[in-house]
Formats: sequence, C-alpha cells, structure tokens
Amino acid sequence: MTSSSATARKNLSKIACNRLQKELVEWQVNPPTGFKHKVTDNLQRWVIEVTGAPGTLYANETYQLQVDFPENYPMEAPQVIFLHPAPLHPHIYSNGHICLDILYDSWSPAMTVSSICISILSMLSSSTVKQRPEDNDRYVKNCRNGRSPKETRWWFHDDKV
Amino acid sequence: MASGFGESTSKSPPSPSYSSNGNSNNEAGDFECNICFDLAQDPIITLCGHLFCWPCLYKWLHLHSQSQECPVCKALIEEEKLVPLYGRGKTSTDPRSKAIPGVNIPHRPTGQRPETAAPPPEANHFHQHGFGLMGGLGGFAPMATARFGNFTLSAAFGGFIPSLFNFQLHGYHNGSMYGGAAGYPYGYSNSFHGVHAHRYPLHAGQGQQDYYLKRLLLFVVFFVVLAFIWQ
Ligand SMILES: [Zn+2]
Ligand SMILES: [Zn+2]
Repeated sequence: MTSSSATARKNLSKIACNRLQKELVEWQVNPPTGFKHKVTDNLQRWVIEVTGAPGTLYANETYQLQVDFPENYPMEAPQVIFLHPAPLHPHIYSNGHICLDILYDSWSPAMTVSSICISILSMLSSSTVKQRPEDNDRYVKNCRNGRSPKETRWWFHDDKV
Repeated sequence: MASGFGESTSKSPPSPSYSSNGNSNNEAGDFECNICFDLAQDPIITLCGHLFCWPCLYKWLHLHSQSQECPVCKALIEEEKLVPLYGRGKTSTDPRSKAIPGVNIPHRPTGQRPETAAPPPEANHFHQHGFGLMGGLGGFAPMATARFGNFTLSAAFGGFIPSLFNFQLHGYHNGSMYGGAAGYPYGYSNSFHGVHAHRYPLHAGQGQQDYYLKRLLLFVVFFVVLAFIWQ
C-alpha cells in the first residue's frame, strides 16, 4: 500500500484511499445536484460530468471535470480541471484550468469532491458573460509544457464570480 | 428541545444517536474526524467545536497549512486551547498508526483540569448531590455514595434540616432514578421539599425505607447534638 516506488505520479496513501472510498460511497448515496460521477475503477482520478444549472448561461450544457488526487489527499488539494472543451467563463482558461481559490491556497482538508463541485457550479451559475479570462492566451502558452494549475501562482481577482 | 438542565445530566450524550436514527447510515458521523472521515483517533476538539484525530490536525497545521485555521470553519486555532477527548475505551491509540514516515507527531495535548471543586456552601450541596445521583445510572453512582458519608458529616455540622432532606433524596433516588431524573428540571434547587412531597406517593414501598432512614438520621443528629453539648 505505501508508495515506496517513486513513480511519476505517486500512489494514494492509505489515508487518502480510505477517505476517497468514503467520499465515493457518500457521493453514491447523495450526489451533488447537477453532477454525475463516471464510474471507473480508478480511485485516483475521477471524471465528473457537470450540467449547467437551469436559468443560467450554461443551462443544459454539459462539461467534464477531471479530478486527480495527490498522494497526500486530503492534506493537499486535488487537481481539478475541465476536460476539453472547457466552458467559456471569465475564470476558466481554455486549457481547462480553473481560477478558484479553494483549489489552491484556500483548500482545506475538510472539503470534499462534492463540495468542490458545488463551488464550481456556483461559479458557473453566477457568471454574467461567456468569455475567457483576459490573460487567457498568455497563461495557456505558459502551460504548454503540461504544467499543473496547482503550480500556478494564482491571483484571485474577485470572489463574486 | 432539550433544556439546559437536561443536557447537564450524564444521560443526555446517547440521545443524539437516537435522534439521528432516522438517517441510519451515519450513526457514528458525529464522532468522525473532519479530515480523514474515520472515527476520530486520539480525538481532539477545537474551541469552535470541531472534532479531529490529533495526528490529522497536527499534520494539517504543521506540515500543510499556511495558517492556523480550523479546516471546517476557519476559526483561529490555538494549540494550547485544544481539548482532548477521553472516552471510556483505550486512553490512547498508537499515534504512529496514522503517521507518515519521517514525521514525528508529538503527544496529543492533555486535558486542562480545573481544580477539584471546593466544598460548596450548604445550599449548593443539594445540587451537587442530586447531580451525582442523577448520573447514578452510569458511572457516577459510586462517587455519589462515597460522597454521601462525607456529606452527612458536613451537613450535620452545617445544619440539620438540609441533611434530613438529603437523606430523603437518597432513598428516593435509589428507588427510582428515572423519576428523579425527570423531576430534576423542575427545580431541585428551588424546592426540594415540594418535589418530595409531591413524588412520594408515586413510589409506594419507598415510604418504609424512608421511615427508617429518617429514624436513623434523627438518631445520628441526636448524637451530634449531644457531642456539641458535651463539648
Ligand atoms: Zn482523522
Ligand atoms: Zn471550527
């Protein structure tokens, strides 16, 4: 169980495994509204389908979130990105990276995949324009080498949207 | 719903689990660590009331977090104000079971134990005594009885009337702890006499015992008075 072999991506710790299993069970009993977990046997990467809430700019559109868990989850935040195509949103870059504080600096181990999903949906729902962040091109070019959004030094413009 | 009084008896802790029977899949949820979601190991509570395993909280505060905030509510955490939770089982599990290599998690902070309460003034004695008996269903009974002797003594010097009542209290509770617990919120502290006069008829068979107790008490009181006089 313990990851002694230093692979490219470290295996989940026992604590992480245990907690993810609990989250999965809870999700199955009570999934957040608007989300569907695509069942795989990979506990370390969840792919989740999100449907825009009715009455918002993204109503009836579906997108896919990819959630990758680090070895030390939940001490460290999972990496959450939108798979292509990412929704047009002032805080979502075209490479799928999301500028949302709880995914980075404001992460807390008491948060769950489910609570992240709810935050992302509320971020989508409160948007008033469908457009990319102003610095989209520059940022995306910088990430060409496959950099994780977790390595970005984020600057959170405002917390309304 | 539960009154403040009800909560102060030792019988209330089980009630949350009863009330949550409705959604049966999360019976132990109240005692799960907010980080690993397991039953808390070496449980510790923040001042804001959030429960964690000590190893989990320690690792978060010292190795991963940039701030000293409660993971649940972001309240400031002061480590010297953390409260350990000691249940009845093993006092401590091996903290290493949640350890990560190379990280040495110190012992869980210990409880801060206020001094044992000083013998309260006479009027309060009732209160305390009633309390002990109330918990008598659980682990409190031995303490109540142990105190009893001590109490009679001090009461005998302090005043005879209260001690008389207290004898009644004792007999009464032996007969029916439940009745006692139910009666408590109505105010043992303000009207002992009333409660007893009121309740006695409910517990037939108790009377006889009380009668002897009273006799015994009078007997003791008599000797105490005698001792005083002879001094
Ligand atoms: Zn824990
Ligand atoms: Zn808290």
